[in-house]
Amino acid sequence: MADEKAGRFPDPHEFKVPKELEGWEEMYPSHYLFSRDRMDWEKRQFWYQDKIHAPEPMPPLDLIFQEAWQIALSQYTTRVFCIPPAQGIAQRMVGCYMYICAVEPPPPEVIGEKAEQFQKRVFYVFEHYDELWDKWLVKFKALGNEMAQLKIPGEMPKFAPDDQVFPAPKGYYVSYDVVEAFDKLVNMMFKGWQYHFEMLNLTYLAYLMFADVARKLFPGISESAIGKMVAGAYVSMFRPEEELCRLARLAVSLRGVKDVLSGTQSVSEKLSALDTTPDGRQWIEEYKKAREPWFYVSCGSGWLHHEGSWLTQPEIPFNYIKDYIGRLGRGEKIERSLDEIDKQREKIISSYRELIKSDDDRASFENAYKTVRTIYRYAEDHLFWVEHWFHTIWFGKIRDFGRLMVKRGMINAVDDIFMFNRYEIPEMLTELATGWALGVNIPLRSDYYKAKAEKRKKILNAARNWTQPPALGVPPEEVAEPFTIMLWGITTDKVKEWLKGADASAAGEAGEIKGFASSAGSAEGPARVLKLLKDIVDLKAGEVLVCPSTNPSWAPVFTKIKAAVTDIGGLTSHAAIVCREYGVPSVTGTGIATSVIKTGDIIRVDGDTGVVTIVKRM
Amino acid sequence: MDYILDFQNVDRNSLSSVGGKNASLGEMIKAGIRVPPGFAVTTDSYLRFISEAGLKDKIYGLLSGLNPENTSQLLEASEEIQSMMGRQEFPGEIRKAISDHYRRLCDWFAARIMPVAVRSSATAEDLPTASFAGQQDTYLWIQGEEEVAGKVKKCWSSLFNPRAVSYRIKNRFPHEKVLISVGVQKMVNAKAAGVMFTINPTDGDPSKAVIEASWGLGETVVSGSVNPDKFVVDKVILEIGERRISEKHIACLFDEEKGEVVNCEVDPEIRGKCCLEDREVKMLVQMGNEIERHYGRPMDIEWAIDKGLPFPHNIFIVQARPETVWSQKKKEPLLGKKSGYELLMERAMKRIRIP
Repeated sequence: MADEKAGRFPDPHEFKVPKELEGWEEMYPSHYLFSRDRMDWEKRQFWYQDKIHAPEPMPPLDLIFQEAWQIALSQYTTRVFCIPPAQGIAQRMVGCYMYICAVEPPPPEVIGEKAEQFQKRVFYVFEHYDELWDKWLVKFKALGNEMAQLKIPGEMPKFAPDDQVFPAPKGYYVSYDVVEAFDKLVNMMFKGWQYHFEMLNLTYLAYLMFADVARKLFPGISESAIGKMVAGAYVSMFRPEEELCRLARLAVSLRGVKDVLSGTQSVSEKLSALDTTPDGRQWIEEYKKAREPWFYVSCGSGWLHHEGSWLTQPEIPFNYIKDYIGRLGRGEKIERSLDEIDKQREKIISSYRELIKSDDDRASFENAYKTVRTIYRYAEDHLFWVEHWFHTIWFGKIRDFGRLMVKRGMINAVDDIFMFNRYEIPEMLTELATGWALGVNIPLRSDYYKAKAEKRKKILNAARNWTQPPALGVPPEEVAEPFTIMLWGITTDKVKEWLKGADASAAGEAGEIKGFASSAGSAEGPARVLKLLKDIVDLKAGEVLVCPSTNPSWAPVFTKIKAAVTDIGGLTSHAAIVCREYGVPSVTGTGIATSVIKTGDIIRVDGDTGVVTIVKRM
Repeated sequence: MDYILDFQNVDRNSLSSVGGKNASLGEMIKAGIRVPPGFAVTTDSYLRFISEAGLKDKIYGLLSGLNPENTSQLLEASEEIQSMMGRQEFPGEIRKAISDHYRRLCDWFAARIMPVAVRSSATAEDLPTASFAGQQDTYLWIQGEEEVAGKVKKCWSSLFNPRAVSYRIKNRFPHEKVLISVGVQKMVNAKAAGVMFTINPTDGDPSKAVIEASWGLGETVVSGSVNPDKFVVDKVILEIGERRISEKHIACLFDEEKGEVVNCEVDPEIRGKCCLEDREVKMLVQMGNEIERHYGRPMDIEWAIDKGLPFPHNIFIVQARPETVWSQKKKEPLLGKKSGYELLMERAMKRIRIP
């Protein structure tokens, strides 16, 4: 820690991870490791842990999303829309955790060239945003449907079937299909992520621009006030919840349906009970309609395979429906009113506008607001389609490969496939195809892969218990990259706080934790610490949710809880926006809440100051 | 000619007859703001008073040619004027009018004697361009008609205290031009009180209200004799962005035995406790917004929270005047008129400095 006192973090090239993590490097592509070849450059950058996208040790195959965004995010800044002084965001893995950096600015002549491109290209996007969004949605849905229709061989048949021989031989068979299908899947994932950032960099830039304008006019304005002015209604992201409300209302209006859904049986028992009556079958019809695509919502952020979705964990939406039926029975309103949300935002923005004295300033404020509002819905609407719908399709397809490998004895469990990275899986599939082609009684290296999967699971577990440094290298003098500032909240204060080396145990003893004051108000109540997202069913009304990160797909819980506290996430994180929308006080980005607070502790959450106090230990 | 006007019958057009403070109380009542009831003894009363027995000529005679740098001369003249005024009897009608109105106020609250604040309200005070504030006397917790009338006269004569006299001479403000009215207002039995600015006085942020509050009456906050609790609140979304809780060692309270307000020690148990509830803070800011909207400019407000009444009926505004520091600054546009694209380009070229 001596290094940190000197105003810098550990040198990434001299840094050592604990012994229990030995062998972690082989899980990830080698260009993800700090290396001698790039040492001078790497030493000049400031690397901080990406707790938003990689809050936990990274399963090797899940790294594909990170790989994809590193390229996609960066290229829009550097090569497509050309934000003049900004470069991309680079990633490195250290002991199963991902560190990222906003690359130092380019030389002045490049900044000049980029400024020209920026003017030509960026303003065009703003002028045509609505039609561009419509086009975006069409092509993105087409890509997702293409992925959904991709056939993953369910087995390696003893003989190629007749229809692949007559009337003419197909020419390629399952040995080719498995390899091709995986390659296609990977390519589609990369393509999807290129689409993901199509307008996101500009959206963030517009937000920062509006925030600058607001701060000039109102020097003390809070990030949550800016958020309230800009944030929209999260139209797509709230659809899953709206579908649940609709299904709950339908259940109440049909005969006998609500009693089944309010019962304690498993989901499949409920479905078979409903299938015995006409009203029940009508409900099932609607339920099936709602599932495509709205139940492709992840139970978490969409970034990790083990989070699951409403498709793989149907007990989650069924519990929500049960809860809604109960509330309807008590005469409560369950839907949120979009009109109300719009009206409220209009009122807020006009109140600030009235406070501006100069006509010129008011005009600039209005122009800035119109500009950000033109594009901001992109930040909200792309989310469902990419991180939720598209990722859920991907996980489903990967599990098909997992099942095939289990059948061939290469791995023990379907999800063990996630223990291999996207460069290793083609090798495994090639071995599998080779074995099939060679004939019968051909041995595969089953023990080799099984042992590898087990070893990697152990390393990931060990990594979970390791407290990593928040950053590596020397803090930079300036940052121009929009995501770094907005999404990760890298500011002077943040870096200083890290340099102090905020010690989790000391903070816990003091009974006070600090984070971002991301949704106003304060509340006190018993804590419910949810480290695993599937435990969400334990949550009771009136509790204070404490979790690694909140997510819009948890929407129904926000009407139940008194307040929310997260380890990860800034003021404009998706979580903060939802909390503000529901008027739930929240403190985000505490870094340590889930390790310091225990379920049952009475805690007070002050969403105005960003302080969480442990009032009474359980 | 009215010797006395009830607050609800005055407004900003009454400035010449009831002075700035009283006019603004009437103005707020019109705007629907909760103000403790009371009445103004008008400048006509004052003029009638000094017109009796040649008092006026004697006063202005003593003041003419006075050198404000000559302290002993100034003190002497001031003392002479004030004692002359003290000796002079009230005109009968005025004395009766004060008693009648005071008794009516007591009857309204079904009290035999009701504590009131007696405050000077000069006609030149609280102009947006100059601050005469705090030059004239204020008396708190005054009970009984005799006492009230006595304090009215004291307020009148405070127009000639040395500070006020020398301020006027230095600023070339003719003595005759400044007249005085007196407000008699029901005392708020304050749990806590203080001041509020509807602009952040530190940085001029018009979206913030700043509240300073302490236990008891607001005098400790106004005079700066305690470190108050401080709240910086967003006026639109009512978010309390900054909250500084201080050790508030003294409180201004009414002492039954002494029969006057005194600064007492605060119980160590509650010194460091926040003296306002969040909902009270937010309600105050909402009231501040209404007052600002009514006057069309940032305001400097005094308020008090009653011990006995339930929320939100316990919150009273006791004074409001235009904020003077930021309103006098020249209004240069902060941004100038820019298109969305210009602003976007500016932002795109920007880098954020870290440490």
